[in-house]
Amino acid sequence: MNLQSDPFLHIADSIYNDHIDEWRKKGKKVAGFYCTYIPEELLHAADILPFRIRATGNQDTDLGDIYMVRFTCSFVRATLDLALKGSYDFLDGFLVCNSCDHSRRMFELFSLKVFNQVRIKKEVPQFYLALPHTITKEGFEWYKQEIQELKSELEKEFNLEEISLEKLIDSISIYNQNRALLREIHEMRIGKSPKITGTEALQIQMANSSVRKDFANQELKRIVQTLHNGDSIDISNKKRILLVGSVVDNVEFTQLLEDSGAYIASDFLCFGTRNMMDDVSINSGDDPLDAITERLYYRLSCPRMMDDHIRRLNFLKDEIKRAEIQGVLLQRINNCDLHGCDNMLFSHELKELEIPVLNIDREFYQTDTTRLQTRIEAFLEMI
Amino acid sequence: MKFNNSNNRKVIPYEMLLGTLSSTRELVERILPENGIPSLRLGTEYLEPVIQRSIQKANEGIPVIGYHFSFPAEYLHCFDCVPVCIEGTSYFLAALLKGGIENYYDMMHNWGHPFHTCTSQKGSMGMSLDDLFRFDAIITPTAPCDCTIASYPFFKYEKQFPMVMLDLPYLHSSKSYKYYADQLNLGLEELGKIIGQEPNYNNLKKAIELENQVNAIKLEIFDLVKGIPSPIENIFNAVSAGALIFISGTPENLSFYKKMLEITKQRYTKKLHHGAPEKFRSIWPYMITFFSIDLLEWLDRELGLSVLFDIFNYNFTEPIETRADLDTMFLGMAKKGMHLPMVRQSTEFFDPFIEYCLDFAREFSADCFIYTQSIACKQFGSVPQLLREALKEELGIPMLLIEFDAGDARMTSLNTFKEKISLFMETLS
Repeated sequence: MNLQSDPFLHIADSIYNDHIDEWRKKGKKVAGFYCTYIPEELLHAADILPFRIRATGNQDTDLGDIYMVRFTCSFVRATLDLALKGSYDFLDGFLVCNSCDHSRRMFELFSLKVFNQVRIKKEVPQFYLALPHTITKEGFEWYKQEIQELKSELEKEFNLEEISLEKLIDSISIYNQNRALLREIHEMRIGKSPKITGTEALQIQMANSSVRKDFANQELKRIVQTLHNGDSIDISNKKRILLVGSVVDNVEFTQLLEDSGAYIASDFLCFGTRNMMDDVSINSGDDPLDAITERLYYRLSCPRMMDDHIRRLNFLKDEIKRAEIQGVLLQRINNCDLHGCDNMLFSHELKELEIPVLNIDREFYQTDTTRLQTRIEAFLEMI
Repeated sequence: MKFNNSNNRKVIPYEMLLGTLSSTRELVERILPENGIPSLRLGTEYLEPVIQRSIQKANEGIPVIGYHFSFPAEYLHCFDCVPVCIEGTSYFLAALLKGGIENYYDMMHNWGHPFHTCTSQKGSMGMSLDDLFRFDAIITPTAPCDCTIASYPFFKYEKQFPMVMLDLPYLHSSKSYKYYADQLNLGLEELGKIIGQEPNYNNLKKAIELENQVNAIKLEIFDLVKGIPSPIENIFNAVSAGALIFISGTPENLSFYKKMLEITKQRYTKKLHHGAPEKFRSIWPYMITFFSIDLLEWLDRELGLSVLFDIFNYNFTEPIETRADLDTMFLGMAKKGMHLPMVRQSTEFFDPFIEYCLDFAREFSADCFIYTQSIACKQFGSVPQLLREALKEELGIPMLLIEFDAGDARMTSLNTFKEKISLFMETLS
């Protein structure tokens, strides 16, 4: 069995895909967003395709560098670069939240430098969500209000009828099913005899974020079936690694790790476990929008949540046991303060588990392959 | 080698700071003429007793509270405590100690701290790692930047200092002010529980009223800076940042600004300028070089370039209403907290920042902007080109961009600064 030829995985190879094309031909809207703290279920219920912004395949940041200094994240610069080159002209809406200092400024830059270009012959509504940086009951109330306001703004800007409770409940069900399927695939990755590589798992996540979830669920069910029926992959000569840190939307990086002798048995990434472990919990009579907010706010956080480091550490510890991890690879894209400091703490805290840890920095695009490969190979040999 | 702090001294970096302030003051008193660099003379004169008091109280066992520079120091006057500014300590030691505090930055780098984080925090983190700081608690907003959000957990999780985190919304609106007012109220109560004290709101009110007076004076000075030539010396920007960070809420702060206003008025009336005759007037919309504040004096003396103000010296806040109920006062405190230097610009979109930069350029007759982009301040990493375009298109004013680390000379040295600015000025001539 080889997933490498699977058409669903290849959706991850590019930004635009056939599914988006078909969707737009039906006169339907696509809205781009950066961060997983955006309520996708709400967009889905509004019959909008939520598309998570990526820079997959971009090898430089020339145009992005005009507007962002070199101390900023090369991933975000690469996405802006793509947008300036026209790769995101298909967007009909754009959502940004204050996830990090790099991505949140895309609100202004897309507005001033991308969406106002002559070639874009449409108004592109933009939406901003102010997300709390701590997890408290007051913060939850704040975020709930933000999402309620977002719902009204979406209805107004896209001339929608009210997004009904029924539609929201339906979207929640579809998204919960989607996360369940991703977890099922994850189970087939963390076991002793895995059926899927870390690179394939990443491709699935990226493809999944680029299509409507109704379609994704059909595809994921098919992939789950294929994996169940297929053979295990041979990882006898590989070391089981937990990959942690900044966004990875570039299979060249994971491929480099796996070609160097690692098997990425699990991860703590936003195109990964961080976005699939928690479901929306909704009971009869609950407000579905509140339930969506609750999942987003209280789920496994990323380091932009200032007071939640211990929960993240505990997840790593659990995952190390569950996936029989032999080494932890902490990585950050250069200039990512949030992951850089979280990784710094992890590197000390994981010592108590006596597990080898490598803490590396990298650029989004693969410019320093040899340096990385040397460090990774040395680390793997050490295990 | 780890420093052995066996004496249980909690604020050794403040002792270092006091030493540097005292020696600077002594030099100023002995060497400079009586009317030379008055802001430095007055600043050291008024900072010194406050720092001295802090050390004395810390040694007496009064709780030491570390605070983020974006948390107004006067708010801590509701407790009998020793307020210690995390960022201010690093940067003023970097400014005043020969050789700066690079060893503490390196200590953190060796511990795994990323090189691209903020040295204003990294310095105090290194000092804490070396056991020089022993905070009884820390209070910080979740603003203005990723570095704050990323670095402060070190104090909580590694050093085990109890920490109060006030969620500060990245959005300016009436609901934001209300939310942050509640955060301040809850946060001060929580801090009180940690140190075993009830907040004394009368003392808080007095400190706020004092700062209301200070702000009014600051606005007067700011207005006088419109005068040509500029009536303040460049180094006032650094000293004023120190006053804001270290002595807000104290009578010394009010005295400092009263005297500075007097001097500024005299110079304004007589059209006096410090250093060489003023050739050009610059606005630094971001930071100055804390690793070497002598650059400011050099610009005054050698190039005749006035630094009218930097980010710590504009955006003054509204007076806080103290005569109504406590809720109204907290609302005013929240508004002030969200309009502090760097917090305001970091928690709203770029448009207002660019707009008031243009307004400042007009009102203050600026010839140029010098934008210092700090390696740590990612929240500002997307603005320089937008500002440059706006200044050029709207006013025909050029902007020089210099990338640097505000607290570490190793990234962009003093000489590099001098060279770049000198060449830039040739293009203005």
